[in-house]
Amino acid sequence: MKKVYILPTGDEIQNGTVLDLDSVEIMSQIISMYPKAEVTRISPLKDEEDVIFQKIQSLVKLKPDLLILIGGSGGGHRHSNSLGKDFTHTALDRYLDQKSSREIYGKNGHLWCKLVCGKKESTLIINVPGPYEEAKAATEAFLKAFSEAYSIENICKAMAQAVYDQYPVGV
Amino acid sequence: MIYKFRRGKGKVMDQEYIIAHADKSVMKISGLRVKGLNTKKLEQILMEKLHTVVRVIGVTGESIEMDAYDIEPDQVRKNEKGLIEILALTEGITATEVAQISCSEKIVEVIYDQIPEKPISACAKERWIKRS
Repeated sequence: MKKVYILPTGDEIQNGTVLDLDSVEIMSQIISMYPKAEVTRISPLKDEEDVIFQKIQSLVKLKPDLLILIGGSGGGHRHSNSLGKDFTHTALDRYLDQKSSREIYGKNGHLWCKLVCGKKESTLIINVPGPYEEAKAATEAFLKAFSEAYSIENICKAMAQAVYDQYPVGV
Repeated sequence: MIYKFRRGKGKVMDQEYIIAHADKSVMKISGLRVKGLNTKKLEQILMEKLHTVVRVIGVTGESIEMDAYDIEPDQVRKNEKGLIEILALTEGITATEVAQISCSEKIVEVIYDQIPEKPISACAKERWIKRS
């Protein structure tokens, strides 16, 4: 792992309403495991599918080994007007040729989180949810799976399990 | 955890749908001024106060929306004043005079087998509502 881009998304991150704790956590985890890695946090994007899509496209041309998108992974505006717009997974669905995905739904039918893993040229692309604990757990699972040379399907599965474990299911 | 597995075709290598059977209520605090919010600290403070898992799911400059797991909405409503006082002390939040908490009822379970495939939408809840 030599070159990594971290791409946070969300109007609330971009305008400073919420501190971007996820990027710091993800960067810290990557550097701990890959001390020689060059990790760059890209300026946050607004929640617009085309904006996210085009940014992914331009970043992949720079040939990073890994691109991590943060936030925009739920159903968001599709089931609640008051929630933010979640477009990261739809942008990845459009962009990726080879991909694996896991969708976690609540028992009420709402999409809580969709994780997508895929590869474009030499770049592995993943997304993690915005809530800090979920982003942290997903990244830990990703790095473990990646270091053990899991397939894309199994990386996605491990990340989904880690996010699922953050929900107090059946307590 | 329930898996509904579907092997993908074409560009999709594989795809799984997972249903999380967790009880939660959505808590919305409005009448705030929010700037530079540390969501991790806010979650910790509320989890200590409510003794349950709380996740921030949406923030604007004026409101914060959170999921509170395994808690009765009445418990949140009864604690409204105390919760707003705590929020006002949290870094990045200023409570105004009109600050209030609204808490929905617990989420209602849908029957997944009866959710139509179409219209195509990323949210099964939306399809469930439109099923008739």
